[in-house]
Amino acid sequence: MTLPNQDQTLFSDVRRAFREVKREKPGNRLGYLFIAPAILLFLVFQGYPILRGLLMAFSDYRWLVPETQGLFDLNGLDNYRALLQDKTFFRAFGITLRYTLVYLPSLLALSLGTALLIARVRSPRLSGFYRVVAYIPVVLPISVSMMMWRQIYNQEYGFLNYFLKTVLQIQNPPGWLSDPAWAMPAVLIPDLWLGFGYFTLLFLIGLYNIDSTLYEAASLDGANGRQQLWWITLPLLKPIITLVLITTGGLASAVVPVLTLFRVPAGPEQAMLTLGVYGFQTAFSIGDMRMGYAASMGLVTGLFSMAFSALVFKLLRSERS
Amino acid sequence: MMYSWKKILREIPVNLALIAMVCACLFPLYWSLVSSLKGRAELFETKPTLIVRHPTLENYKMVLSLTGGSQIPLFLWNSLKIGLGAVAVQFVVASMAGYAFARMKFRGRDLIFYLMVLMMFFPRVGGLMATYELMDFLNLRNTHIGLILLFPSSVSLSLLIMRQSFLGVPRELEESAMIDGANTWQIFTRIAIPMTQSALVVISILMFLATWGDFLMTYTLLDDLNLFTVSIAITQITGWSMIYNSTLATTYGSDNAAFILAILPVILVYILSQKWFVRGFQEGIIKL
Repeated sequence: MTLPNQDQTLFSDVRRAFREVKREKPGNRLGYLFIAPAILLFLVFQGYPILRGLLMAFSDYRWLVPETQGLFDLNGLDNYRALLQDKTFFRAFGITLRYTLVYLPSLLALSLGTALLIARVRSPRLSGFYRVVAYIPVVLPISVSMMMWRQIYNQEYGFLNYFLKTVLQIQNPPGWLSDPAWAMPAVLIPDLWLGFGYFTLLFLIGLYNIDSTLYEAASLDGANGRQQLWWITLPLLKPIITLVLITTGGLASAVVPVLTLFRVPAGPEQAMLTLGVYGFQTAFSIGDMRMGYAASMGLVTGLFSMAFSALVFKLLRSERS
Repeated sequence: MMYSWKKILREIPVNLALIAMVCACLFPLYWSLVSSLKGRAELFETKPTLIVRHPTLENYKMVLSLTGGSQIPLFLWNSLKIGLGAVAVQFVVASMAGYAFARMKFRGRDLIFYLMVLMMFFPRVGGLMATYELMDFLNLRNTHIGLILLFPSSVSLSLLIMRQSFLGVPRELEESAMIDGANTWQIFTRIAIPMTQSALVVISILMFLATWGDFLMTYTLLDDLNLFTVSIAITQITGWSMIYNSTLATTYGSDNAAFILAILPVILVYILSQKWFVRGFQEGIIKL
């Protein structure tokens, strides 16, 4: 994890190290021996799957049909023609898009808001406590967290509906996990819950790096809090905002929350069949396990994410100049 | 800390908002903990309460006393085995390679290092499917060894951290050892490794947390319930499809006891590791 604006320091470290190592060292060849286990592990379990996955995206690989599994049994763009005809794919795409349009802005607002609040706490112990707590949902196993949320959502025993009924006097609280209309919020809440702490931490690092004399100068010039936020904090946080947007990867599919939260696959009436979930089902749980088709969906999603990243870079950079 | 109390008072609105955040973050955990400590009578009162009046360890005893296949103690053991195995593999692989990348001079060293780090950002199209095929081909699907090798294979981050850390070891130490006649391996194991403790602890913690909490890879690669880690088993055996041969009414408490047992190691590791992460930041190993 390197922030865009710290890349330079990393590269200069490397250059300096490069110069220093000029001194003669014993056992030059030994170096290859030392890196061999890492390289081997990496090539076998990471490098190969990356290439194989790309090939799969252009073949009709089906796990239960051995004849389709040759390394170079490619079928050109057939998968993509099929995708264009696939109503479920478009439905999943729509759901993913809608989910992302709510998820990403909420995530940004929530984590930036929390970071701004924590940065205003002056006691280091207290701010440390808040930071540690906000990060707890990030380190918990997602599946266990989702099981806990399932209990909170439970219509009869769950605490959420009990709270809505008795405290807020809502007579007909929603069936969070059984009503298709409520499936998206039911995924959104825990998904934000488990993700915002990570981005809060990134924003906090950015905030702590801002020179405090800038604020002092602004106060002397009579700038109020909101003006300082708008003209100093946000512009200086741009590299972090870029990093956060790119780390989220554009399209949000919430695969693990959807897989673990609902009793029925993809939620009631498949209301949360996002692209990631559809891909997972295609590859691992329905029909012939069409892994090639699923990989091509992955490629489409990946291209969207890359386009999104490029857009983020372009927008945030052009604004700066 | 006296001086800061006045300031804290002035920050009351900020702190109120943050306390709401703390409650939201911890509520699911708290609810689960409370439910796991309640006895049957207390669990099924018509009004659920936020406090336990008669805490009991009955639920934990029940969950932990179930031995044999497909039970929580076995799943915890599986998770521990895979977690420690992955940590051990990563320890060897990342420390050796990190040392070589930091201290040894050989042709193409920096090029190889940069390629490995850049791969971190390479999109994994169909990676899950390709890994599934690969593991099946290697006869590593449905084995713990497969996962123990798979998790540490994403070496980018650990190499970055380890190389950075080895670069910080004073060169004089190694040189004087060399004059005393120590060979490369001795310098590596006796001097370099002990000097990079905090980096090794940091990457080990990250690996353990990632392994313990992984869902998608583990769930895809393991079919046999007896091999499951606790994180994936919990979705199969608690809640609606129960192994305890009983109705929902009696498993609510034990389910929650199982959840708490599944997250307890993670919480402990996370809290205890704070000082190592702080030290890592101070030593400049972790660049965020």
